[in-house]
Amino acid sequence: MAQTRLDRNEQINGWAFVMPALVLLGIFMIYPILWSLWMSFQVGRGNNFSFGGLANIQRLANDALLVQALTNTIIFFIIQVPIMIVLALLFAVALNDATLRFRGLFRTILFLPCVTSLIAYSSLFKSMFSNDGIINQALMSLHLVSAPIPWLTDPFWAKVVIISAITWRWTGYNMIFYLAALQNVDKSIYEAARIDGIPAWARFWNITVPMLKPVILFTTILSTIGTLQLFDEINNITQGGPGNGTMTLSMYIYNLTFRMMPSFGYSATVSWVIVAIVAVLSIIQFMIARDRRRGA
Amino acid sequence: MSRNVMRWTRTLAIALTGISMASVAAAAAELTVWCWDPNFNIPAMADAGARYTAAHPDTTFNINNVSQDEINQKLQTQLLAGVSDGLPDIVLIQDDNIQRFLQSFPGSFVPLSDSIDMSKFASYKVAAATYEGKSYSLPFDSGVTGLFYRSDYLEEAGYKPEDVQDITWNRLIEIGKDVLEKTGHQLIDMDYNDDGQIIMMMQSTGQWYLKDGNEPNIIDNPALKASLETFQEMAQSGLIKPVSDWTGYTGAFTSGEVAMVPQGVWITGTIKSMPDQAGKWRVAPLPALDGVDGATHYSNNGGSSWYVLASSQHQEEAIDFLKTVWAEDVDFYQGILVNQGAVGSLLAAREGDAYKASDPFFNDEPVWQNFSDWLAQVPAVDYGTFTPEARLAVRAQPNIANGGDIDQALQAIDAQLRQQMQ
Repeated sequence: MAQTRLDRNEQINGWAFVMPALVLLGIFMIYPILWSLWMSFQVGRGNNFSFGGLANIQRLANDALLVQALTNTIIFFIIQVPIMIVLALLFAVALNDATLRFRGLFRTILFLPCVTSLIAYSSLFKSMFSNDGIINQALMSLHLVSAPIPWLTDPFWAKVVIISAITWRWTGYNMIFYLAALQNVDKSIYEAARIDGIPAWARFWNITVPMLKPVILFTTILSTIGTLQLFDEINNITQGGPGNGTMTLSMYIYNLTFRMMPSFGYSATVSWVIVAIVAVLSIIQFMIARDRRRGA
Repeated sequence: MSRNVMRWTRTLAIALTGISMASVAAAAAELTVWCWDPNFNIPAMADAGARYTAAHPDTTFNINNVSQDEINQKLQTQLLAGVSDGLPDIVLIQDDNIQRFLQSFPGSFVPLSDSIDMSKFASYKVAAATYEGKSYSLPFDSGVTGLFYRSDYLEEAGYKPEDVQDITWNRLIEIGKDVLEKTGHQLIDMDYNDDGQIIMMMQSTGQWYLKDGNEPNIIDNPALKASLETFQEMAQSGLIKPVSDWTGYTGAFTSGEVAMVPQGVWITGTIKSMPDQAGKWRVAPLPALDGVDGATHYSNNGGSSWYVLASSQHQEEAIDFLKTVWAEDVDFYQGILVNQGAVGSLLAAREGDAYKASDPFFNDEPVWQNFSDWLAQVPAVDYGTFTPEARLAVRAQPNIANGGDIDQALQAIDAQLRQQMQ
């Protein structure tokens, strides 16, 4: 009897300590999530909304613009994430080399883009890649191109600009994770490999990459989520143009909410599409990693 | 004991201060205004505010530079959330964007037609902000268009000012090719992600993206098709210098790179920002579209108006201010016309001296008289609710500039617009 009372007291105390955090979490996380789920079943303009059942889902199915936004997002994801992960890995390995001089300086230079404000660097890229920008001027004066490349006025080149921009901004960020992980790899493994006469490329491929697998998985998932939520760069550099060529899902949601007739219900539905995609992709990535771990 | 007395007096003092401050606040209103463009709307509003404060010392103004996108975003978020904290008393909204606010957030704006006589203003401006029989705007910037051009470049290519008066777009393209060949200057510059040029051409014929404001008017719209064809022809002939944003857009003509600027009258301030180019610029009526019924030389682009928010604590002052300065003070309009090139929508203002004056910057032509004459002839169109959707759909067709098939583009615009109109 006394035992259970003590138990109960402990439970009450425990709940009392956790309660404030739970209440805040409820108000600022759970309630908005549930509310947006409820919103995704509403139709109407602005504040005049009413329950629309599955109308938004039906609208989703016929939305060519959504398909385009999704395609663009996937293109960014498939091209940019691998480039960035590989670059970050190569930089990390190079900078981990104890014989390299000015390592601190190089690390700082590569990490610096990550502390730059998103708006500032986006504006910079926009001006660099404008028709008369420094990039075109440089290419022209080096006689690499005869006419200025339409960086921001052609859908293909605009995608190239966006991919370059995100790669510049985020490669250093991922590199830091790899550097931290590399510091924990036992140097004797490399020494043994070197003594056995294994070449540098094989050492990288057969030792470094497998050792970093959990970190690579982590950065891939982070980058996946980041790419699916890509907004700042698009909004500041191309506004989704030209011709929806760089429209991403987040930009589309922004347009639905703030640039077109506000249909909050439908934009909530599209937001849930992102949630679903992130969830599916993350599960797939976890499953691939788990299989490998089992196989190893 | 004495400590208690002290505490009481202190409380009393604080309370009294509070009461007196509250009563001061009630008498002295500070009207917060949101608007964009430090070369145009902001100084115009500041001038209006100064005039009102001179007569009503208790009313002061706090004018904030807020971009158009930000205004839309902040208003939509806060009106939806029902939170009015931090919203301004008076806000500037572009005409083709106001119906969405009036329809989406009923009761959020004060109907001004109850207190101000709307017949004093250009009717197409009043119509843009009328919803369910009431008009909500104090019509301001007219957006009437003209063709600003460098007469020195034209002369170099062997053309006189008469050669660009009342011409068609096809004739302008011929002139443009000549100018490009002889002077090396392209005709105009354009952000391909902006359909300003298309809407100017289209409205000059009295047609719009929407029929009766509600039904898409894309596939069987001869004016839109002719506008797109003309634009394509210009782009394919190398007459357009592509730019990617507003800074690039204004930079291309203020630096003397391109020869012409077809634009709303509000661009005057930017063109005149280069005093060393005085005398080189002139203004002609917009070219007319070839082969389209109802084609005129007059159109509208942009144009915005003032609105009073229903959440304002100082509605009376705000309305009184708009009424006494913006709806009555003809002198005020002469000032913003000379200083900012603002052609307002108050019809009586056109009788003022400044409107009759000639401008040395534009070769001593009576440009303001011209603009106000053109203003009266702008064909009115119903922008309806879905103009931003239509504009986004047009911008989604970059292939037009690259020589793509126009009928296909029209189909795609129509499809995207219909999908978004839900």
